[in-house]
Amino acid sequence: MRALALALAAVIAAALLLPAFYVTLMINVGLASLVGVGLVLLTGIGGQTSFGQAAFAGIGAYTTALLTLSFGWSPWLTLPVALALAGVAALLIGVVTMRLSGHYLALATIAWGTSAYVLMGTLPGLGGFNGLVDVPALPGLRGASRMMLVFVGVLVLAALVLVGNLLDSRQGRAIRALATGRLMAESMGVNTGLVSLGIFVIAALFAGLSGWLYAHVQGVVNPSPFNLGAGIEYLFMVIIGGAGSLAGAVFGAGVVLVLRDQLNDWLPRLLGQPGNFEGMVFAAAVILALQNMPQGLVPLLLRRRRLVETRIDVNAPALPSREGAGAALKVSGVTRRFGGLLANDAVSFTAQAGAITALIGPNGAGKSTMFNLIGGLLAPNSGEISLGGVRIDGLPSRRVARAGVARNFQHVRLLAERSVLENVALGAHRRGRAGMISAMLRLDRAEERALLAEASRQVARVGLSELLHSPAGDLALGQQRMVEIARALCLDPVLLLLDEPAAGLRLAEKQQLAGLLRSLRASGITVLLVEHDMDFVMGLADHVVVMEYGRVISAGSPSVVQADPKVMDAYLGGVVA
Amino acid sequence: MDVTIAELLLQDGLTTGAIYLLLAIGLLLVFLVTRVIFIPQGDFVAYGALTLASMLAGHVPATLWLLDVCAVASALLQWRSWRGVSWALGPALLITLATLVAVRLGAWVWLQGALAVGITALLAPMVYRLAFRPLRHASLLTLLVVAMAVHFVMVGLGLVLFGPETQRTPAFSNASFTWGEVDISGHSLWVAGCCVVLVAALWWMFHATMLGRALRASASNPMGARLMGIEGDRMAAIAFAMAGGIAALAGLLIAPITPIAYDSGFLIGLKGFIAAVIGGLASYPVAAVAALVVGVVEAFASFWNSAYAAAIVFALLIPALLWLSVRTRSIEEP
Amino acid sequence: MIGRIAGVLVTTVILGSAQAAWADITIGGILSITGPTAAQGVGYKNAFDLMPKEMAGQKVNYIVRDDGGDPAVAVSIARKMIDEDHVDAFIGPATNPTLAAVMPVAQEAHVPVVVMAPALFDVHKYTFAFDTAQPTTLMIKGVVDHMKAHGVKTVGFIGYSDGFGDQVLDGLKLGAAGSDITVVDDERFARTDTSVQPQVLKALTHKPDVMMLGGSATPGALPSLALAQRNYKGQVYNNHGVVSPAYIQVGGQAVEGVIAPTGPLVVYDQLPDSNPVKAVATDFMTRYIAAFGPQSRNAFAGYSYDAMLIIQAGVPTALKAGAPGTQAFRDALRDGMEHVSNLIGTHGIYNMTPDNHNGMDERARVMVQVVNQSWKLMP
Repeated sequence: MRALALALAAVIAAALLLPAFYVTLMINVGLASLVGVGLVLLTGIGGQTSFGQAAFAGIGAYTTALLTLSFGWSPWLTLPVALALAGVAALLIGVVTMRLSGHYLALATIAWGTSAYVLMGTLPGLGGFNGLVDVPALPGLRGASRMMLVFVGVLVLAALVLVGNLLDSRQGRAIRALATGRLMAESMGVNTGLVSLGIFVIAALFAGLSGWLYAHVQGVVNPSPFNLGAGIEYLFMVIIGGAGSLAGAVFGAGVVLVLRDQLNDWLPRLLGQPGNFEGMVFAAAVILALQNMPQGLVPLLLRRRRLVETRIDVNAPALPSREGAGAALKVSGVTRRFGGLLANDAVSFTAQAGAITALIGPNGAGKSTMFNLIGGLLAPNSGEISLGGVRIDGLPSRRVARAGVARNFQHVRLLAERSVLENVALGAHRRGRAGMISAMLRLDRAEERALLAEASRQVARVGLSELLHSPAGDLALGQQRMVEIARALCLDPVLLLLDEPAAGLRLAEKQQLAGLLRSLRASGITVLLVEHDMDFVMGLADHVVVMEYGRVISAGSPSVVQADPKVMDAYLGGVVA
Repeated sequence: MDVTIAELLLQDGLTTGAIYLLLAIGLLLVFLVTRVIFIPQGDFVAYGALTLASMLAGHVPATLWLLDVCAVASALLQWRSWRGVSWALGPALLITLATLVAVRLGAWVWLQGALAVGITALLAPMVYRLAFRPLRHASLLTLLVVAMAVHFVMVGLGLVLFGPETQRTPAFSNASFTWGEVDISGHSLWVAGCCVVLVAALWWMFHATMLGRALRASASNPMGARLMGIEGDRMAAIAFAMAGGIAALAGLLIAPITPIAYDSGFLIGLKGFIAAVIGGLASYPVAAVAALVVGVVEAFASFWNSAYAAAIVFALLIPALLWLSVRTRSIEEP
Repeated sequence: MIGRIAGVLVTTVILGSAQAAWADITIGGILSITGPTAAQGVGYKNAFDLMPKEMAGQKVNYIVRDDGGDPAVAVSIARKMIDEDHVDAFIGPATNPTLAAVMPVAQEAHVPVVVMAPALFDVHKYTFAFDTAQPTTLMIKGVVDHMKAHGVKTVGFIGYSDGFGDQVLDGLKLGAAGSDITVVDDERFARTDTSVQPQVLKALTHKPDVMMLGGSATPGALPSLALAQRNYKGQVYNNHGVVSPAYIQVGGQAVEGVIAPTGPLVVYDQLPDSNPVKAVATDFMTRYIAAFGPQSRNAFAGYSYDAMLIIQAGVPTALKAGAPGTQAFRDALRDGMEHVSNLIGTHGIYNMTPDNHNGMDERARVMVQVVNQSWKLMP
């Protein structure tokens, strides 16, 4: 709050004190920052890239220019229309690419940026490539006036606050998982395609707002400031500023635009010919920045921000949880091929409800494949997998998660820079409902308190309460495994899939883990685990399934399996784990 | 539209399509070996054409000095390794001498053309070494942004090196043949011929030579290739050089049809790139066919409604992306 | 944190803005030297090297900056020149989008601005704006008159898919209005297109008597190349944006016979001695060629030079009213420029009035044709 008041004071002071030219420049910085805030959300945090933000700004600018000039609308009334059109355009592009990996969105935005430029110059009524002139100023806010700077400044601050709110929420955790943890987030029930579509639309809305303002600040609208090159420059600004933090959007726009103005003076003298060589210099700066300081300028200008210690409200109401106890997992006749390799060959077994079932076997036996089939990362070629009588085979992993299957990963998948609490809270994603808009407007606080309280309870359950606010990447491997289990528990699972949970754990930790699993069993959760530590398995499991070469070779209670000669053969023949 | 016009449009579309095809192949080659989406390839098209134009005007091409500067810079970056330094400086030195002699003597056009392709081709691995190599472990998106930045730098340099005017280079052949009612220009036959020969040569190289197998191996399985003793770096440099050379050749093929300026390359490159994306950034044959389709669609779209032609060509991406979406099942990890 | 950002930005800006004002006359050039219109921009820019260092005994400083074709950058440059360099007048911009953005800024600050592209603006609203370029209608009228004289009925048009193409087409339609000439087709291409064959084929399906082209600089030769390939026998007209030796170099035999309007400057050496513009044009172009070489010959440089001449003509009056850098000086400069009469420039003769801030007449246009690979003045 104090920072906000300070910033507002700075904006007003700037508007009052700066010479007229710098008022114009700062307004341009503000307009670019609005686009930049969206790009930070999209690129730096969400791990997607768009080269076409300028085209969304163009939609905003042309909408208001057309409606005010040709239809006599008030500029204020055109704003919602401008935003809606920019949002719809983004929605269409996003839908086409939402299921594809990130670079396809970037490539699609190149095509979009190029096509939008052609359309803006060609569609009837838009004034051709000379564009529309004499766009009316906003009532009371003449062109590039000092009041306009205050207005733009307030909008930029509002954008920073809104996106800041969004990142500090249930949806924010999902957004942060997009860049490096899509697969994990899907397994937590997050529809990552939808989330990335959401931030793409939000980024486009901010760009549209910037374009709407541009039209009223300049009074002239034509296609050239909204071409692909302009879109790429917005991205460069954000990268130079620092795509990883919201401050980077403002820094980037400020540094690039102020420097550009200076370079426009100096470079021509240096090179002996006038010209717009700043573009070249900034592009070179982008290459050097990505090579040497991927965080951009922000870390140089601001001290490293510690993770905020979110306050936990222990009295928050509990989250809704599933009715009834665990359900049985039934795998029948499941076959999965990879090319010529038969990874699972007609595998059948059942994990009883409220029991611990262990899946063991030598390396290459097909256990991980079976896990991925159950978890929805793979679909079987034939056979059925059902949970509590409902088929889950072939469903994408987020649907499997929604059916109540929670898992950890053999190679730990955590967001290393985020706190343990945030990582764990991601597991509870499906138990909240708040969307991006309510997050931005802080309408989600009650639910958010409940989510964080649940997460902290689960962290306490795995015994890591004192590390609640540490970055997950700082933890020892064993502790990271426990964090993953806590995250899985946040899902309120029916079935818990644990892939080598005891690997890398010290003896005391293993005992603690065993205790935890027993208590889960007591609460009715079905547990299926893959584990190499035989002592751990045999002391814990109710039922053991042994696989070799993609087939089940033995199943039964630990004592039965241990006595089975086929199992002895398999383990003596293979690598004893 | 009568048949003659359709035939002419088809010929025109296939000629430009063939050029896009070359570019699509270059893009795929670089992408599969290095994961770099080679946006600046279009600039190499312009550099190739403008280098030749400047040699034909009797000047030492400015690209030559750029090459030498880059060569020295990349030699300095690997000064510890004698082999690295000689690889960086050797070819640059040779081609510098050859070009100086050729320009002095005003040698045959085809020799100057070959030198222009050579200079441009050698520039590409330098770009790899200076811009991309330090980021070889970075994400695909980071590499894409760097590729875009390299394009900006190359356009800016292009203006400084070549000036703003467009240039034309001589056609490979001024002959013209009549087939039915349609005139076929000798130059478009050359374009088609170059395209076929190059595709055949690449196919042969990929399937019958050690280098080709090594390139394919490092594309399909970089880790495995490294274990087999294939240097990823050298493969990347070779892929860049090949793409640079292919782009320069494309430049020499376009410049007689359409004058080229320092900033003409980008859009030409993008069309090759649409073809590569339609090929899922994986399949050479699909990309090749797609390139011809892009060329033909562009020709017919320009005929049908020239103002919207560019937008129509880019709209080809939409069905391609939808098709890729439908085919993709799991969420891909970036 | 947000407060800190604002703090840093404000400090940077205040430090950067501390610069002294000039005491001499200062003229600011805002040009698009890079970007899509770079090829023209160089001509506009080169002319600044040939401008006088003194006007009416007062030292003149020229500051030339590049807007890259971006209106927002042009506005930003204009404001900076007003606030920090205290310019007394602007030369440029020379593209329609950028000049449309700069004119209101100059008007607000009461700084005379001489734009260099044919622009249709309201002189009573933009009282400080002047224009040295022949109105497109004036230029294209020459083409249309030639068409009429040769009994042309149908014209096909191929032009840039940008503001320039729009302008030429508008000029053509305006000129043809009321006559029996009809524009039968409108095709567009981009400077960077790999082929204009399809557009040419389409245009030829309408069997036009003649073709009119709306490109500029060297890429303006593209449609001619394609027309030659299709053995088009009709007359090909181009516009004043292409008249330069470089155009013929790129177009070669394909542009032989092309007719275009242009300012007298381009064919200064072929003008009859009776032509009033000849002396000024010859003086300027010989100096220009000496400085930049014969291939650099172009029409654009003359517009910058004429802009300077118009400002120069206003300076004596302005100096009586106040010192350079003051508002009084700029107001009087504007008044002086508005009363310029019979000023001989490189492109024509300027007669300004409060209702006409361009003041050119048909003497500002000659028709030229490519004959034996060079531009020849048509009788």
